[in-house]
Amino acid sequence: MKNMHRQRVKLLISLIILLILGFFVSLLKGPVKTNILDLWHFIAQNDATYSTIFLNLRLPRILLAFLVGASLSLSGAILQGYFQNPMAGPFVIGVSSGASFGAVLSIFLGLNIQVYGFSLQSIFAFGSGFAIVSFVYLLSQKKGVFKVETLLLTGIAAGALASSFTSFLIFLKSNSFEQAVFWLLGSLALSDWIHVNAVFPYFILCLIIAQWLAKDMNLLVLGDETAQSLGCSVFRVRKIFLVISTLLAALAVSVSGIIGFVGLVVPHWVRLLIGPDHRYLFIFSSLTGGVFLMYSDLLARTVLFPTELPIGIITAAVGAPFFIYLLSQNR
Amino acid sequence: MAILEVDNLKAGYENNFVIKNLCFSIEKGEFICILGRNGSGKSTLIKALQGLLRTISGKITIDGTNLFSLTQRQIARKIAYVPQMFNLAFEFSVNEIVYMGRYVHQRRLNGGSPGDKRIVNEVMELTGISRLTDKKIAHLSGGERQRVFIARALAQDTPLLFLDEPSSHLDINYQVEIYKILKFLQEEKGKTILSTEHNINLVIPYAQRLIFLKDGKLYGQGPPGKLITKSNIKDVFDANVDIRKNIHSQLPEISLIPQKAKSQ
Repeated sequence: MKNMHRQRVKLLISLIILLILGFFVSLLKGPVKTNILDLWHFIAQNDATYSTIFLNLRLPRILLAFLVGASLSLSGAILQGYFQNPMAGPFVIGVSSGASFGAVLSIFLGLNIQVYGFSLQSIFAFGSGFAIVSFVYLLSQKKGVFKVETLLLTGIAAGALASSFTSFLIFLKSNSFEQAVFWLLGSLALSDWIHVNAVFPYFILCLIIAQWLAKDMNLLVLGDETAQSLGCSVFRVRKIFLVISTLLAALAVSVSGIIGFVGLVVPHWVRLLIGPDHRYLFIFSSLTGGVFLMYSDLLARTVLFPTELPIGIITAAVGAPFFIYLLSQNR
Repeated sequence: MAILEVDNLKAGYENNFVIKNLCFSIEKGEFICILGRNGSGKSTLIKALQGLLRTISGKITIDGTNLFSLTQRQIARKIAYVPQMFNLAFEFSVNEIVYMGRYVHQRRLNGGSPGDKRIVNEVMELTGISRLTDKKIAHLSGGERQRVFIARALAQDTPLLFLDEPSSHLDINYQVEIYKILKFLQEEKGKTILSTEHNINLVIPYAQRLIFLKDGKLYGQGPPGKLITKSNIKDVFDANVDIRKNIHSQLPEISLIPQKAKSQ
């Protein structure tokens, strides 16, 4: 118990250091060469050019990277508890691909309306993401027990199907390779303040709800009947968790395309470090995911400079081997 | 005074009633075992009695109130449940699992109070798992694990304790160990205990009353000394046995009659 407490403090301190470091490095790296002095000049004198570079281009991108990483990881942490399975995640069970399809569909139909910072794009993303997760849920459940194989296979198949629809729509409409890459491999290249403002409040809302219900998630992991006998309103709690995990994934996808494996591996790392208690897992997964994606984006921008890699390539390169490792452990 | 009364209970899964027209009652402080063949409805009954099933009709009265009018949280303060053994997907520690029994008494965002801590330490002491407190559940033996789940149920601090086949998958020394603990809880802590069991001989010295279930119906109930007879066992379990007296407890005991190998 005390040991775990120390682990959590250690992780928190490391994350804060990494966050600050990554923040400044990301802020200074980019197509226009800048150094710490330029940043100082900008703060001291408020130069218009630097203002554009720092405030309108780089800062929103860093913040969005953090928010998307945090949303995907929180979504993954919830889904893993929800399916009582450490191999679930928004990408693996097809939510991300479903959400991506919805977003592309709304663009295809030319619908572009904003409601409370909620674009129709994210509403479509949420709808189709939710449809996929419900479908996977129904197919992989048997008498309240989830079979790992069915869950993963159904999720991957449903995701592949959604992705093929997405590609189809993209090629029908624009024949644009860039568009396809954006939606299928993810990118933060189009970040701006509108996106940050659209994701931020909903992420915070979902995080608060998740923390509020974290104890119930601990009980759900023991199985529905046990959870119920320990006083948890299983049906209601499950519904809420499914909605917020889908919402988080859909929001992330609607601003940055599919960035795979983040939601799978991050909660895993965190669980290895601080244990499975969801009261800490949710918040720490969010933080770790944010930091992880911030660095992934930094890599994506710098590895083949000046060309930008789709960030999904980086996260898959880290996440997919880890996923295979987990599969081999699970046997 | 009856702490739990069951009147004309039907229960099951998706329009299929497994339990049919059951009536019985449990007195405060009693130790009761439900026996019957596989599929006779033992597990279904123990779930139905705590409101875990949706396909249910009839009447269950607990402490004078209708069970169906209580919320899940209210029920969880009256009945604690040790389900059949299963594997956990995540590596919770013993301490974390036992603490989960306290959730129902805590506010949402509260950690644990000193009172919670005292109770957790007490039940871990009582079940002999104090030294395992930081161990991961997956690293425990079957007997230790079962004691952890009993400790969690005790941490719930309820008058009633339900257990579904608490001895299954355990070595015989652990089987006896578990029932010793349960007996202690009944006699010293005043718990009312209801468990399902398939090992008849195991429970005879501990249970005050047995309930025989057959095809979801009550076949008979009474103290082990009266209920364990050759013909009852033949009727309920379709097994030919001898009944003899256990030399230590002077209670009846089932002795299997070896059968010749079947020739075609």
